[in-house]
Amino acid sequence: MSKPLENHWTAVVNGEQKHLEIAQTTRLVDVLRTHLHLTGTKVSCEVGRCGACMVLMDGEPVNSCLVMAYQCAGSDITTIEGLHGEEKGTLHPIQQAFVEEGGFQCGYCTPGMVISTKALLDAHPEPSHEQIETGLCGNLCRCTGYGGIIRAVRKAGERCAIRETSAEETVS
Amino acid sequence: MLLNREQSGKRWHLRPDGAPKVTGQLQYLTDMTLPDMIHGRVLRSEYPYARILSIDTSEAEALEGVYAVLTSKDVPGLNRFGIATPDQPVFCEDIVRYVGDAIAAVAADSPERASLALDAIRVEYEELTPLNSTDAALAPGAPELHEHGPGNVLHRTEIKRGDAEQAFATCDHIVTETYYTPRQMHAYMETEGGLFVPDEEGRLNVYAATQHGYKDRMQLARIIGCPEEDIRVVSSPIGGSFGGKDELNVQPYGALLALRCGRPVKMHNSRKESVRAGLKRHPMKIEMQTGMSREGIIQAHRVRITADTGAYATLGAPVLNFCTEHCLGPYAIPNVDVEGVSVYTNNGLSGEFRGFGGNQAIFAMEGQMDRLAAIMNMDPWEFRRRNMREKNDPGPLNQRILVTDGLSQVWEALDRSELWQKHQSPPADPSLPPWIKRGVGAAIAMHGAGLGYGIPDPAGGRLSLNNEGKIEVAFSYEEFGQGLVATLEIMLCDLFQCSTSDLSIIIGDTDRVPHSGSSTASRSTTMAWMALQRLQTPFRSRVLAVASEMYGVPADELVTGPGGVWRKGQLPAGSSEAETPEKAERIEVAEIVAVGNESTQIAENYLGASQYLAKDEAPSGLVISYAELATQGEADEWIFDTKFDYPTTPDNVVGGHYLYTYAAVAAEVEVNTLTGATKLLDTRHVVAAGPVINPMGYIGQIEGGSVMALGFTLTEDAVMQDSRYVTTNFDTYLIPTIQDIHTNLEVEAIEDLPEGDAFGPRGIGEIGSVALAPAITAAIHQATGVWVNRLPVPREQLVRPLNVPLQEGVSPS
Repeated sequence: MSKPLENHWTAVVNGEQKHLEIAQTTRLVDVLRTHLHLTGTKVSCEVGRCGACMVLMDGEPVNSCLVMAYQCAGSDITTIEGLHGEEKGTLHPIQQAFVEEGGFQCGYCTPGMVISTKALLDAHPEPSHEQIETGLCGNLCRCTGYGGIIRAVRKAGERCAIRETSAEETVS
Repeated sequence: MLLNREQSGKRWHLRPDGAPKVTGQLQYLTDMTLPDMIHGRVLRSEYPYARILSIDTSEAEALEGVYAVLTSKDVPGLNRFGIATPDQPVFCEDIVRYVGDAIAAVAADSPERASLALDAIRVEYEELTPLNSTDAALAPGAPELHEHGPGNVLHRTEIKRGDAEQAFATCDHIVTETYYTPRQMHAYMETEGGLFVPDEEGRLNVYAATQHGYKDRMQLARIIGCPEEDIRVVSSPIGGSFGGKDELNVQPYGALLALRCGRPVKMHNSRKESVRAGLKRHPMKIEMQTGMSREGIIQAHRVRITADTGAYATLGAPVLNFCTEHCLGPYAIPNVDVEGVSVYTNNGLSGEFRGFGGNQAIFAMEGQMDRLAAIMNMDPWEFRRRNMREKNDPGPLNQRILVTDGLSQVWEALDRSELWQKHQSPPADPSLPPWIKRGVGAAIAMHGAGLGYGIPDPAGGRLSLNNEGKIEVAFSYEEFGQGLVATLEIMLCDLFQCSTSDLSIIIGDTDRVPHSGSSTASRSTTMAWMALQRLQTPFRSRVLAVASEMYGVPADELVTGPGGVWRKGQLPAGSSEAETPEKAERIEVAEIVAVGNESTQIAENYLGASQYLAKDEAPSGLVISYAELATQGEADEWIFDTKFDYPTTPDNVVGGHYLYTYAAVAAEVEVNTLTGATKLLDTRHVVAAGPVINPMGYIGQIEGGSVMALGFTLTEDAVMQDSRYVTTNFDTYLIPTIQDIHTNLEVEAIEDLPEGDAFGPRGIGEIGSVALAPAITAAIHQATGVWVNRLPVPREQLVRPLNVPLQEGVSPS
């Protein structure tokens, strides 16, 4: 007889090791919002369609409403609270660009949108329009009509590219 | 002017709620928790229409961890709610009328246990055949869903002018068409919910989204049977509303459960529950017959509107009024015969939604205009000009309206646009395969703002110098994403030449703001502007008088500025503008340090977000700071209030508007005639709504409204079968994604207002969403020859056999 799953869950969340006693069938979104009080990850459709609950799991964007605790145990998870600029407490260039270009209105989709943008720019530092469309089509926004979001993503892409170039120059 | 960041220059103002939103630090009301809170859930009807024979809650009550099970007998006050017509039961007593009807509510120590408790409630029903269409509801002998009939009619409207019947007899051409529009869902990203907290003094604190906190407070007090002052409603920030959160939703249940249990109760609807119970845009059938003379001048217009208002009234009557007013378009028509009816059915609840019935009416009327122009073989834009109302003509209801040039200005601006010019020579791209067709269409609209004649529409506000030395404004408006707070900052900085760090902006809390009306009907910006016009002089006079007295400088040599009162001519450079983007960029980075703290469980006021704002260095030449001023005299001497009503037409026509905004929209589409898919390529929105206060907000509202209208036109429909939702979530209810939108969207703002205009900037919350649908369907017609009369556009209507020559030796099958 197989042993029932134990309820000890551990993962790295935003760079910190976390240990919880929870049912292994708890959804990741509830682990974050309810158990770790990280309410930046939003809950909206709960069927993996809207992207409001998007987080990075080992660098890949996932809808945290579709991931169970047992599926992400031992993973490295980054939520919106884990994103910041060069120093903690400063804005990441993506966040900065969203503020400057009006890439949000009510802001409820924004954490998920920013996380998806992070994944997009990590994979494609200078994304084409098609790559932006593909990278963000899993995130719904009802307020902005996406215009400000596209402008923000382009600007963030430019900034990240500049930063990376200058970092390379420093190294060489 | 073409509105974009570059054109806006220094007016491109960063939102004070930006940093908390992009970092996830902002606590929405559905994010709030308290250590001892319990969880509320609502039991909703199993049937769209049924008689309740019995309700047995004993098993649920006996469950461990269940704190309360409530039914209709537990409502101490009025068991009904509704902003205009309180006919929706908090809990049904004997009849259920739609699948969202509430029968019971439970509170338990976990969401899972609350769900178990719902399952344990036994309800016996006698199922009845639902009235699943307006036809069924209006059929002779149909059961009456409400006692206040007659029949199942909620409301009727009528506009009769001239003699339409006689005029039709003399018309050379008549176009007859019936238009159908969908049950659109608001699809705000944050579903309904919040936290309900009874405090030690016996007061109830309600943290739940609404567009009108005072109206919620009044309705909750009526349900609970307590004085309004015993309730505090905190109602911002909101994760989207679009009209959908204006009526009470979870509030009655959260409030009653919290009071029964004496503990904080958290409610948060799942998306499925939100779809099932929440409001939608009224589906409408609009029959139109429009006749014109040989010269192409419209002589007669007959309209029959049938709106499916669903199980309860909500704002069904005002929505129908608005639709009726707007189904004449901005045209001068001598003979008019319009009748509207709003019908109760057992379908989902219809209510207010951005555009408020204008969207349906404008789609139909503009569709008529294109069909008439085609008969005349005339340019559709020229055809519109020929029939447009003159500047001094009365409004659609024959009421006096404020005279502006808006209509002709948007007409001309669109006429000049490159996009509309493409219509003259339909774009053909030889590189496209033959089944891809392109076309360009356009539409025009006038759209009323405010609630209209005969409907109480109070406004007002408070301006004060608070004891911290901040210039404080307080309004009962809400921030649901539109950027109201940023707009208020800009207005105040313009008025007092101060900096954003001198400001304290209070909204969304009935304990802290005066009753200044609702955030609806595109009115907050106009109302705030009008309030500040009234308040600025007394406020400034006192500030300058006290400063003058203290320092012996004549008041007329002093001005308000950043940080306090300055000598005239010595204001620091650039102080009249909100901070520049460059400066703001620096500030956003520097100040965000505060964000890392543990978030508080109940944010007193999220506008604490202003901590991210600019802090000017101590300036020289300052006469006295606001903080020093605030210590002079009694605190209440620094408080100024105003109250007034939104301007309405002086003529006695119920619902008639006085202020209108105008818009013209052109759209270019590409239709795939193999799949019937339509892709919107390019749009231009021209909007005449007075001065642009907040360019970022303005663009956002027009872009957002446009994409919402794109969904209305091409994909969105909350489909019902036998009065049950078939589309229950975003996997089947398809709102536009980033892949579906027009990659090119230009916004042109016309800022002119008549000289001495007393009403300032007009709201633009709705105008971006009302005229795109007919522009798209006109473009589809140019592309394919198909006249679309139903939204969302049925793809099967656009599928055409390949119009390519057969190849030798290849079977055509």
